[in-house]
Amino acid sequence: MISVSMTVNGKAVSAKIDPRTLLVQFLRENLLLTGTHVGCDTSQCGACVVHVDGKAIKSCTTLAATCDGASVVTIEGLAHDGVLHPMQEAFRENHGLQCGFCTPGMIMSAIDIVNRKGHDLDEHTIREELEGNICRCTGYHNIVKSVAAGAHAMAGSK
Amino acid sequence: MSATGIGAPVRRKEDFRFITGKGQYTDDINRPGQTHAAFLRSPHAHATIKKLDISEAQKADGVIAVLTGEDLAKDNVGGLICGWMIHSKDGSPMKAGSHPALAQGKVRYVGDHIAVVIAETLAQARDAVEKIHVDYELLKPVIDMAHATDSGSPVIHDVAPHNQVYDWHLGDKGATEAAFANAKHVTKLDIVNNRLIPNAMEPRAAIGDYDSGQDAFTLYTTSQNPHVARLVLSAFIGIAPEHKLRVIAPDVGGGFGSKIFIYAEETVCVWAAKKVGRPVKWTGDRTEAFLADAHGRDHITHAEMAMDDKGHILGLRVKTKANLGAYLSTFSSCVPTYLYAPLLSGQYNIPAIYVEVEGIYTNTAPVDAYRGAGRPEATFVIERMVEVAAREMGQDPAAFRRKNFIKSFPHQTPVIMAYDTGNYGASMDLALEMADYKNFGKRKRDSAKKGMLRGIGFSAYIEACGIAPSAAVGSLGAGVGLWESAEVRVNPVGTVEVLTGSHSHGQGHETTFAQLVSDRLGIGIDQVAIVHGDTDKVQFGMGTYGSRSGAVGMSAISKALDKVVAKAKKVAAYALEASEGDIEFKDGRFSVAGTDRSLAFGEVALQAYIAHKFSGQDLEPGLKEGAFYDPTNFTFPSGVHICELEIDPDTGVTRIDRWTAVDDFGNIINPMIVEGQVHGGIAQGVGQALLEGAHYDANGQLVTASYMDYCMPRADDLPNFDIGITTTPCTTNPLGIKGCGEAGAIAAPPAVINAITDALGHEQIAMPASPQAVWRAAQKSLHKLAAE
Amino acid sequence: MAMTMTGEAVLPALQADVWAKLNDPAVLKACIPGCQSLETTEDNGFVAVAKVKLGPVSATFKGKVVLSDIDAPNSYKISGEGEGGVAGFAKGGAVVRLETVAEGTKLSYDVEAQIGGKLAQLGGRLINGVAKKMADEFFANFAKEVGGTPA
Repeated sequence: MISVSMTVNGKAVSAKIDPRTLLVQFLRENLLLTGTHVGCDTSQCGACVVHVDGKAIKSCTTLAATCDGASVVTIEGLAHDGVLHPMQEAFRENHGLQCGFCTPGMIMSAIDIVNRKGHDLDEHTIREELEGNICRCTGYHNIVKSVAAGAHAMAGSK
Repeated sequence: MSATGIGAPVRRKEDFRFITGKGQYTDDINRPGQTHAAFLRSPHAHATIKKLDISEAQKADGVIAVLTGEDLAKDNVGGLICGWMIHSKDGSPMKAGSHPALAQGKVRYVGDHIAVVIAETLAQARDAVEKIHVDYELLKPVIDMAHATDSGSPVIHDVAPHNQVYDWHLGDKGATEAAFANAKHVTKLDIVNNRLIPNAMEPRAAIGDYDSGQDAFTLYTTSQNPHVARLVLSAFIGIAPEHKLRVIAPDVGGGFGSKIFIYAEETVCVWAAKKVGRPVKWTGDRTEAFLADAHGRDHITHAEMAMDDKGHILGLRVKTKANLGAYLSTFSSCVPTYLYAPLLSGQYNIPAIYVEVEGIYTNTAPVDAYRGAGRPEATFVIERMVEVAAREMGQDPAAFRRKNFIKSFPHQTPVIMAYDTGNYGASMDLALEMADYKNFGKRKRDSAKKGMLRGIGFSAYIEACGIAPSAAVGSLGAGVGLWESAEVRVNPVGTVEVLTGSHSHGQGHETTFAQLVSDRLGIGIDQVAIVHGDTDKVQFGMGTYGSRSGAVGMSAISKALDKVVAKAKKVAAYALEASEGDIEFKDGRFSVAGTDRSLAFGEVALQAYIAHKFSGQDLEPGLKEGAFYDPTNFTFPSGVHICELEIDPDTGVTRIDRWTAVDDFGNIINPMIVEGQVHGGIAQGVGQALLEGAHYDANGQLVTASYMDYCMPRADDLPNFDIGITTTPCTTNPLGIKGCGEAGAIAAPPAVINAITDALGHEQIAMPASPQAVWRAAQKSLHKLAAE
Repeated sequence: MAMTMTGEAVLPALQADVWAKLNDPAVLKACIPGCQSLETTEDNGFVAVAKVKLGPVSATFKGKVVLSDIDAPNSYKISGEGEGGVAGFAKGGAVVRLETVAEGTKLSYDVEAQIGGKLAQLGGRLINGVAKKMADEFFANFAKEVGGTPA
């Protein structure tokens, strides 16, 4: 067993864990933050995307131990005082989700896209940048709309 | 139309929990004292188990139990069942081999379940699985469906010595032969409908829990139909009587059919919970989903269509082999028979049809319903046939279709179905306009100037949804009725709970069902809660599949609402001291006709519960009504999809340039949700046509068992979709709804392939039309062009 | 998943010496990549344990290796099958032929192998490359054992 300490959604957490514990297991099993999902076992689907030190990563292929000292944000950490993040709001407003399983990873990736590519995203860029996130329900049409709308809204909320 | 009533694009009530990470999927649930299960699965496609040694695994760290098929047999746990009886041409019943939840002496596909380890942690369970030693005697596997029934093929189930499940037919053979005898032109085509793996994003999961004090079980599971799961686990598998078995299907992350079925894993978890005296949790990983979720499609077909000299269709004959895999899954037998052949008339007036279907065992994962289930396979056959026939006869494919469209309703096809209503020409008109068909030739020439091949493809699909009349499906072999139930509970303050037998796993029932209630009772949707997915809360219901929740599930709610309003009028009459006949109900208020005396819906609800204004002899207190709705017919959504695409002959890359979808779903409750369903369906259909294909090698190894090898549609594989709507309300249910859940997946594949073959100028391309396949086919086109 | 592979190597040694080494468990153990143990059994064979990594899947294989069709000192067939637990199984065989040439001894082989289970599901498309690499490693090691490097 090894000790890890990190900040998750603004709160300091530490625990003794099996060294092979993945970040997604640590979040789901130790911290009961079950909004981060596991949809595949080959790091392809993106349901597990969280932010570590401001960057989107796939938590299913990241050891929790390597995040020692890091600041982690999950889907549960986006809304503040009952106010949704503009990207969350955009997904709801544009019907960017159906079963909701891929949604947390989709939203975390979308915010990361905006952080990297800015607020004025064309359809082609959004579609290319979503390559690492699979959705089986929406056909992506409304996800693309949501990301574009969320990106604009994030500019306004700065 | 009110802001939250029928027809309004209301934002979804369920979204808040999903976008904030507060959804509760099965794997998010943890029970006190929970243990973890891991399955040993066969790495071989076909083998007998000579020896199964679990002794080392039993001694491994953290292991609580290692259970095998022998333990199941000792406890008299029954096998998994197939609930739809199909009879062969000769009247003999289908040959259903036994399907134990854990293998008993033989394994029949890679992924077949052999044993389960239950341990304190998942890692310990997985480690111990490694310590089970199996001595296999390998048998030759049967993989190629085309030759599975050849004499000398290895036998998968003793009950089916030639690996044939059934040899079934439908239609009038004599009349069809006669139609062909009079034909001036016959179009012939060999068609393969590729095997798909459903891939709902949430892998299947189950938690079995046993309460020894109550002698009762609870199963949390990823199910589209928890009551059906309970019925099968109880009545057939024999876990516990229904009143001692609670099945909860919480938030479910997509189903597409694959979560209808009752699988080995949940059976084992719920049974094992009592054996180990603690909750048992299993969560599938993606590889397990690839191996052991029921697959979809997998047909090979030869079809022939007879036309007169003008291109009127005279007859259709179809011969199909359907791969059912190694075992008959829950509804597998009906998919290539009654969900397939009756749809082969499409939107067309075809006087004579004859269909033969052979169901076949192979050493591959079981095949069952996947989004559309039989109807995509039928639509692919008929829409490829009409497209090719039009081309062969030198006619415009849109005009050829229009000429053969059914134009008067009701219409009885020669293959069971009686279409109640539709206006196929209207959908075609709108689709042609939206797709700017008249300028396609110019766009094709512009592409050609860039060295690109542009093509356009049509799909005028029909589906039979809202399944379906219980007596009718019973006469065709179904083991269950396909009605739906609802209970509307009005609380004393006027808020409403609707308990529905439907199940939502992405469809947005919490919103659309609430819209219906809002519309009818004149209360806001925030005053309505939709309760589903728990057999202890909800009366028996049949679940969600076959685009039935609107047409059947909401019709049941509608019937229950009628009863609520009727009862509330009685209460209002007492409360307002008027005669019942004078009470009017409008916009949420009960009023006495011709007066200003009225009560709001909530006030009447309170009167119903305090019961001060009437005596118990005259009227029962309370306001709660239930209904079971059994439809009188299937519903028949239809539409026209047009795919326009561009192929780069140098790379074989196909880019969909525009997609036009015009659908007639009857009346629509929430157009935003309906469009979302269409988008998702098209994506799955395009996936089938261009990207997806399950592939077993000759030894039965699934070589497309991860997202590295099974190509899922991603955002950059798809275009935006142009959606249009035409409406002919369904005539056989109270809401006029036809259903929309499967349309895209049914319509899309032939539209794509018709467009690719149009671009290529020949018909030799199979699904998935991957860049490699398209490149090869494009080289043929270039040679052909050069030769001309 | 099935794969086939053929190849040859010229070894700077006498055919009789090469033949002897091909039948020497200690030599085979030293040459088979990842081989952890190799013990002779009564029926012209061995019991072997080898650790193999194929893409994302690594597994320890335990299995039997049998020599058949022995035509000393010219050729034999070596076949084996191993179970790698949940990683799956591998089985296959190689016909190995020796021929005296000017530079020493020419060894040629025809391999046929099958893999199944997780190996095929996740590592399937890597199998040919890995098998080729393992064969190359084997013959590089073997050449060292017989003295010299393969031509």
